[in-house]
Amino acid sequence: MAAIRIENVTKKFGNFVAVDNVTLIVEDQEFMVLLGPSGCGKTTLLRAVAGLGMADSGRICIGDRDVTYLPPRKRGISMVFQSYAIFPHMNVYDNIAFGLKMNKFDKAEIDRRVREAAELLHIETMLDRYPSKLSGGQRQRVAVARAIAMKSQVLLMDEPLSNLDALLRLEMRAELKRLLAEIKATTIYVTHDQIEALSMGDRIAVMREGKILQCDHPTVVYDRPATDFVGGFIGNPPMNFLDAQVQRRDGAVEVAIGDFKLRPHPLMEPLLRGYDGKPIVIGIRAENMEALAAPADDALKVRVLVVEPLGAQNLLTVKIGANIVKVSTHPSFEVAPDQELWLRFPADKIRWVDRESGRVLYPELN
Amino acid sequence: MKKRLNLTPYWLILPSVIYLALFFAWPMVQALTLSIWDGDARLQLRAEATLRSPVSDWLPRGAPIEVVERRGNTVDPDDLGQSNLRTEVWFYIRGESADGRTVEGWAPEARVRVRETDAAGAPTLGTIRPRIGGSDPLTTVYAEPSVVSDVVGRIESNAVVAIERQTILELWYLVRGERDGAAIEGWAPSRYVQVFGDNVRGRIDRGDAGELTLRYLRSMINDRFFWPALWTTLLLMAIIIPVQFVLAIIMALIIQQQLRGNTFFLYVFAIALGVSELAVGIVWYAIFTQNGYLNSILVSLGWLAAPIPYLTADTRHWIIVAIWLAEIWRATALVMVIVVAGLQAISHEILEAADLFGANLWKRVRYVILPMLKPSLQVALILRTILALQVFAVVIALSGGDVVTVLANEAYRQYYTLRNVNVAAAYAALILLLSMFSAAVYLRMVRSHEEMQE
Ligand SMILES: Nc1ncnc2c1ncn2[C@@H]1O[C@H](COP(=O)(O)OP(=O)(O)O)[C@@H](O)[C@H]1O
Ligand SMILES: [Mg+2]
Repeated sequence: MAAIRIENVTKKFGNFVAVDNVTLIVEDQEFMVLLGPSGCGKTTLLRAVAGLGMADSGRICIGDRDVTYLPPRKRGISMVFQSYAIFPHMNVYDNIAFGLKMNKFDKAEIDRRVREAAELLHIETMLDRYPSKLSGGQRQRVAVARAIAMKSQVLLMDEPLSNLDALLRLEMRAELKRLLAEIKATTIYVTHDQIEALSMGDRIAVMREGKILQCDHPTVVYDRPATDFVGGFIGNPPMNFLDAQVQRRDGAVEVAIGDFKLRPHPLMEPLLRGYDGKPIVIGIRAENMEALAAPADDALKVRVLVVEPLGAQNLLTVKIGANIVKVSTHPSFEVAPDQELWLRFPADKIRWVDRESGRVLYPELN
Repeated sequence: MKKRLNLTPYWLILPSVIYLALFFAWPMVQALTLSIWDGDARLQLRAEATLRSPVSDWLPRGAPIEVVERRGNTVDPDDLGQSNLRTEVWFYIRGESADGRTVEGWAPEARVRVRETDAAGAPTLGTIRPRIGGSDPLTTVYAEPSVVSDVVGRIESNAVVAIERQTILELWYLVRGERDGAAIEGWAPSRYVQVFGDNVRGRIDRGDAGELTLRYLRSMINDRFFWPALWTTLLLMAIIIPVQFVLAIIMALIIQQQLRGNTFFLYVFAIALGVSELAVGIVWYAIFTQNGYLNSILVSLGWLAAPIPYLTADTRHWIIVAIWLAEIWRATALVMVIVVAGLQAISHEILEAADLFGANLWKRVRYVILPMLKPSLQVALILRTILALQVFAVVIALSGGDVVTVLANEAYRQYYTLRNVNVAAAYAALILLLSMFSAAVYLRMVRSHEEMQE
């Protein structure tokens, strides 16, 4: 059992709050991804868990041990650093064996584990090479092999794929996922790449400016973002946001996008009543809008600006009011720039965003 | 495919190569040859009594010889300035001989007193000098400017003679000697030959050509100060260098900890670098001398009844301790600066990774920091060893250079006090050899992995 409990951890650099009162619980054997833009404090939080750079306040427990004041080597963790931090003066074998040697494993066991880890990462043929003779991808594998050879219950990874080129990253992503499923360590994986997060994590914790905005399963984070930031950060293309106005007509709530009137989902109505006469933001994913070639009552007329055929889909850019909106359509839907088409907004796919706070409104939360 | 040689880099390093050759290699080779090259060991003998004639054989300096024949020889004008030249001036004179004839011929300058000279200073008129004692009162006139040539006449003393011209001669001897059991004969300029009273026997005074010799090295080794100097130097190296390295690494690690005020520490540590060696010696002299700080403090604390005289001929060990302390005080910072620079090149994450994977401070130093510092340590070690071999002024200041002596001091003594350039050069060569040897050993011992150079 090695769940990681991060409780109210705050870390400041001078007056700058890098991690702001973060609480996060990573279950045993869970793969938790910390996702957020650069500089949001992911590394700082991960380092606090590792014991590199003491947190200013808060508590960190691993398993049932309070490790807040333990040095890194006593926390029973291993880590893959963003810069790999493999030892340039040791060959691959010694790099992988380093942690085992420091922890006084016997020689046969070290050898067995080094070869096992090297095999898992397909670097068994380069055990006597030195890091300067390895490519970026190979160094990264060495760093991972060094971490997994320890067989610690907790594995921390700081943007391990960020230094790789796109193709290699794709390949390594799948390999890492397979590997981590095999070794069953509790993992915190830091990345700023939302696709990596969506494709790998059991859960994703989205961070911004030192705070965790949402922590949930990838599908939930994708489909039901907690804030407009999360919706805009995750997904490619990001979630579209449209300015709209809430109105009452005949006792029912209506939302106006320009001249177009939209009926919200019945479950949302009580919530939206409070916004009567006020502006609101509609969030909707590109693939959730229905594009029609002919006019319909419940569809909004738009003009296509750009058509990007992406193979599996066509991505259309349209303008609604002052907002640029991306719409994804099936490749068989024929459309050309400057053509008119009609968009239908399925009521259950619309996310309602409070304009002031940026929070997404969900009926069950109120 | 043939790869074209790119000459540009070679052109670019050419100035440095020329500089090195001109100001380092050449003078150094010149200086070092002094220690193994005996510059006047051989006297070259020639087939004819002239420098233009080829060298036919040689005799070692000091070889006994017999002069078979003498001949005057016109001096090469280029040689005239040489101080050791033995020359004779001969005048071509005309006058009345003892039997009333007019004779014309050569007489040595020694037999003629010059009475008149022309505007250019050349003699024109003279009188024959009277002979004092001796069996023959007459002065001989020769056909050639040489006492072995034909006699053309004899002139009485005080006779007036006209001086037509003069010539400057160098005396050459046809010498016969022995080398390795073989008899050798040949002409040699008289300036290299010492002739004894009988005008026949003599010896080669010095040579005009050199040969390789071990005698300077031998006289260095046989010098009574040599072994003490060598041992003291090695002893100082053996105790200074390890202590300095340990101290320097500890100091560097302290500075590396980014504690408050670490730049202050860096400056304090580095102050000693700016103090001259002699000044350091004097500072430590002031500490260790009989009424110096150390004794004053110990006495005033009541730990000593009377001051201990540390720096005397009977307390060599104390002098060595003082030199040792002074050197450590003076030069540890040099190593530290190099180590600090090397430490800064080690990324933080590497050290954090080591910590994370279970290495405590000692293990981090042992398995990560020291191996990664290898290149810096190598540089520092070479530098320190060379400097330790050159320790000099501190020794002079603390011991006067007699009680305790080191190789550099012996080189100085030989050169300056004893005026023995060759033996001084031998010491210098020994120091150079030790430096190069230790550098080579370090480079092998601490050879950094080629692979490490990224
Ligand atoms: N050692 C430090 N000193 C001062 N500021 C730091 C330090 N490390 C990180 N920061 C700041 O803290 C913020 C979060 O950094 P980091 O956790 O590295 O972000 P990221 O999410 O990109 O990993 C950044 O704005 C960074 O400038
Ligand atoms: Mg980071």
